[in-house]
Amino acid sequence: MSYIFVKPGMSPREIVKKVRELPGVAFVSVGMRDAGQSDYKNRLRIFDLKTLAPYYNEMGLFAAECHGGARWHVGIMNRRESPFEEIEILRELMPNVLLQTLIRETNMWGYRPYPKNIIEYVVERVDIDVWRCFSFLNDVRNMRVVAEVVMKRGRLFEPAISYTVAPWFDTKYYLKVVDEIVDLCGGVDEIILCIKDMAGVGTVKSVSELIYAIKQKYPELVINYHRHITDGLAIPVLVAAAKAGAKILDVEEDTLCRFYGHSPILAVEAILREEGIPVNLNRRSAELAVEKVREWIRDYEWAESPFKGFDHMVTKHKMPGGAFPSSFEQAEKGGFLHLMPAILQVMSLYNQIVKYFDVTPGSQITWVTCSGIVNRYYKEFGETGVQRVINLLKKFVEEKKQDFSAMEPEEQEELLQLFRQAPGDFKNLILGHYGKLPVGWPEEWVYKSAFGEAWKEKLKERKETSALENIPDEDLNTLRRQLEEEIGRPASEEEFILYLMHPKDAIDFIKFREKYGLAPLVLPTKVWREGLSKPGDKVEFELEGKPYCIELVSIGTENDGIIHVVLKVNNKTRVFEVKTPRAKKEEVRKATKPNEIGAPISGTVWRIGNLKRGTLKVGDIVHKGEEIANLESMKMENPILAPFDAQVVEICVKLNQMVEEGQLLFVLKPLEER
Amino acid sequence: MTLERDIRKVLIANRGVPAVRIMNTCRDKKIKTVAIYSTPDRLAYHVFLADEAVHIGEAPPHDSYLNMEKIIKCALERKCQAIHPGWGFLAENPRFAEMVEEAGLIWVGPPSEVIRLMGDKIRAKKIAQKANVPTIPGLMKVKSPEDVLHWMEEEEVTFPILFKAAAGGGGKGMVRVNSVEEIPIAFEKARSEAKKAFGDDTVFVEKYIERGRHIEVQILGDKFGNVVHLFERECTLQRRNQKILEEAPSPSIDEDLRQEICYTAIRLAREIGYYSAGTVEFLLDPKTKKFYFLEVNTRLQVEHGVTELITGVDIVGLMFDIAQGKKIPFKQEDIYPNRHAIEVRINAEDPKTFNPSFGTITRLEIPQGPGIRVSSGVYEGADVPPYYDSLIMLVMSAGADRAEAIRVMDRALSRGLRVEGVKTIAPLLLSIIRHPDFIAGNFSTRFIEEHLPELISAFREKTADDEVLKIAQYVAEISALGPQPWM
Repeated sequence: MSYIFVKPGMSPREIVKKVRELPGVAFVSVGMRDAGQSDYKNRLRIFDLKTLAPYYNEMGLFAAECHGGARWHVGIMNRRESPFEEIEILRELMPNVLLQTLIRETNMWGYRPYPKNIIEYVVERVDIDVWRCFSFLNDVRNMRVVAEVVMKRGRLFEPAISYTVAPWFDTKYYLKVVDEIVDLCGGVDEIILCIKDMAGVGTVKSVSELIYAIKQKYPELVINYHRHITDGLAIPVLVAAAKAGAKILDVEEDTLCRFYGHSPILAVEAILREEGIPVNLNRRSAELAVEKVREWIRDYEWAESPFKGFDHMVTKHKMPGGAFPSSFEQAEKGGFLHLMPAILQVMSLYNQIVKYFDVTPGSQITWVTCSGIVNRYYKEFGETGVQRVINLLKKFVEEKKQDFSAMEPEEQEELLQLFRQAPGDFKNLILGHYGKLPVGWPEEWVYKSAFGEAWKEKLKERKETSALENIPDEDLNTLRRQLEEEIGRPASEEEFILYLMHPKDAIDFIKFREKYGLAPLVLPTKVWREGLSKPGDKVEFELEGKPYCIELVSIGTENDGIIHVVLKVNNKTRVFEVKTPRAKKEEVRKATKPNEIGAPISGTVWRIGNLKRGTLKVGDIVHKGEEIANLESMKMENPILAPFDAQVVEICVKLNQMVEEGQLLFVLKPLEER
Repeated sequence: MTLERDIRKVLIANRGVPAVRIMNTCRDKKIKTVAIYSTPDRLAYHVFLADEAVHIGEAPPHDSYLNMEKIIKCALERKCQAIHPGWGFLAENPRFAEMVEEAGLIWVGPPSEVIRLMGDKIRAKKIAQKANVPTIPGLMKVKSPEDVLHWMEEEEVTFPILFKAAAGGGGKGMVRVNSVEEIPIAFEKARSEAKKAFGDDTVFVEKYIERGRHIEVQILGDKFGNVVHLFERECTLQRRNQKILEEAPSPSIDEDLRQEICYTAIRLAREIGYYSAGTVEFLLDPKTKKFYFLEVNTRLQVEHGVTELITGVDIVGLMFDIAQGKKIPFKQEDIYPNRHAIEVRINAEDPKTFNPSFGTITRLEIPQGPGIRVSSGVYEGADVPPYYDSLIMLVMSAGADRAEAIRVMDRALSRGLRVEGVKTIAPLLLSIIRHPDFIAGNFSTRFIEEHLPELISAFREKTADDEVLKIAQYVAEISALGPQPWM
């Protein structure tokens, strides 16, 4: 029997209907996106992930989350694969499976809020079936543009509520968010609601209560529960969610599970079955996928966080999925690993003062702000200073219940300095640049602390509108021209979209791929990361349906920053020159400023000065339009004319010197108007 | 003078493509070859291919390939009977031709006095007029910018006009002028370029024929006064006045005009007593279908190969035969072209800016297959030094008609030719032959400048073989350097 119940091409209404009709629950596999993001820094390559696709194609999943979040950016920056290529590959290998992305409502797959016209342009052009969209502020207004474009395209919009457990985020609060979502999407028949428990802190009780309440109010609303496993209690909560009425649960291959991702697919299927809840899953295919992972997962040991292990304390500091282990790595790199316990403690206090959800970009704001505070205290006052700020915050939050006036004057003074050096994003956040905070703005003292004397002015600037209203549209033609100037050729639509998301990294990516072609897509991970190690080692692959083989013959020793590598490429021996980081960089000075005269063409400087006056020397006065040098290139003369009346400050070339295009020839000083 | 003299060994006073081209024919004719080379050319292709090679001097052409005394001395020392100058360098230097003959060697080329006469563009034009060959209205002696203005007024000539070097050719010293203000700078530029290229700053000025087409006739004469033509070539496609694509027959003339142009060329050749291979260049005004004499190239032309492809004649071989005092072995009526041929010049230049590109050719795949002829001056691993002409290879295609020749050329450039290490204009050439206006035969000397942005943006073809080398480069780097921080 076939487990396939939804397919790309179905209308959202049809998909929703099919899910409602399922006797039990269905799974989303996050094996191709969130699994890698939480435990492997998004380094899992499409080369390996695609081996799961044939199994996914038969498995009867609701969808495969394979796109979005940080996978996009890490893809172009580190894996050097484009999200468009990934979609194309997966579409071919698993045509039965809905492809799902995770998108931030205004930041999309990048790190800044984009203007409306960019959001529209991009969402219209990415071939994804299920659009899981969240706001770290649960500011549903911010989702409008993504929702409209996705629904207009006839794709499934899956709004997510960012979920955590805190006294002020009660069921009543979440129901209000759901109301807004249902309102925005015009009912419950064409959407699926995701509860995004990104830190994995929902309890059996809290999650059951929430889902019951939602189902009570919107019995027809299909709910998908997404929960990380950091606290070690995920599976019972998934069971509770299913019992309460969630129709879709997020899972991943058992062999991909580590500590910060999602629950194991086979285990969840088994326990649900035992509980009498049917699961739409071709278990045999799922088992094969689980086995398949073992063939390549060990190639990624380098990418896994060295800080392994569950931690129930996540329920206090609430750091989401992969952010938790990577914060330890950042701390280690920054030399403040020993401050981590203090930072986590400050975070758990901070998130009671400024209330929002720790998920991108909120989690980054929290991390930078709190690690900044602790580091500052440590640098100024040492360990005792760190203890002092924790005690101060504890007293303020726990003892005095955040009554600022109840604090001693010197404590007040200290609190008023707390956020003075907070990052710009923190300040933008409390000024409403990202949208409204979920349960109201912070107390006045936070503004005084962040902005000092200017706080009143700043408060007036605070925006109550959606982030979408605050950002003016950008000129897409100008942006495209900028990109094309950088890469020196017309850009494809996909390259342009990559550029819109991450301008600098997209250019690096495009240049990398121009140089190394399809290397990221065809090389096995071990070769991709380490190359070929000994003579005779080879790597085989197919390109355009033809077989290719690259075999290592020898690696030379370094000489002047150059290593020669001999490879056999389809049996033909070739020598490749590799520049090591020690390679001498011959710096050619380029003309960059208006008073610097560069060579318009490569050639030989055969004359400095001109026929009439002879050669030039430093200090000479030249007149606008006067020939100051002449370049010969391929036996053609190219006079260099002075662009204005000027004094020669520097002559940067010698007679008969070969120069390249753009190379600095003269530095001139414009003559003052008399 | 008409005495037959055997050439058993020849010194080729050239390098690169022309030297290699001539050596191939020498091999066919069992003539031994002596190459000369400058210091950076020590391992050049023409050196390998020759039977012997002599170091001639340092890199600058004046010390090496233009060093007349030394070249002749080498030829004598190596017991050569002749010198072939190829094209460029000393090919049109009458003094050198004289010196060769004075040294008792055979000059494989036209008589030195003809070279001298035709080298003076002003005198050449006068002779053409005398032989009833139409010429472009012009002013022969230009001493100052004012002369130009007077001439324009008197003859009612309108802009644009064109300065040319009296001693010149090959586009050097040619400056187009569009307005009165430009005249002084253009005049100076033309004079200076002329001085540099030819050692003579005499320039003259002509009316610039808009959208003119360059058509040239290949002629051959022997020392017995026989002159034949091998039909015409179309050389309209140029950039910076340098030809980059030539074809034969010309798509812009009909049979009557073809006969008229070809016989006009013969008339002129007879008038000046021409022997050896040479070319009479004309400019065709497409509006009036009138053609005008431009110049005579008293040497083997770069583009002679297309004529060889359509006629089946080895022009270089005939140059040797004629130099040895043999008669042309066929009559005019024996020659009839039955193919269409195209040649493109693979220059080591940036295809967008035409900036010369130097360095080592790290990869070279030479096109093959039916209808393709390649004349290369380099090999994989060879250096392209900055001192000389940027031409590294000629690629020619032939077919039953023009469309077929274009298709063959497309295959040669898109699937066959691969050059890495230096940039070449091959991508531009490919866009040109794919351009609808080129295919329709609708172009002028300004075609490239008019269509440059469009030609540059044209689609670039990739093959799996190219891609795999990029992947191999990656494998090489990671194998040598290990995991990278950016991963």
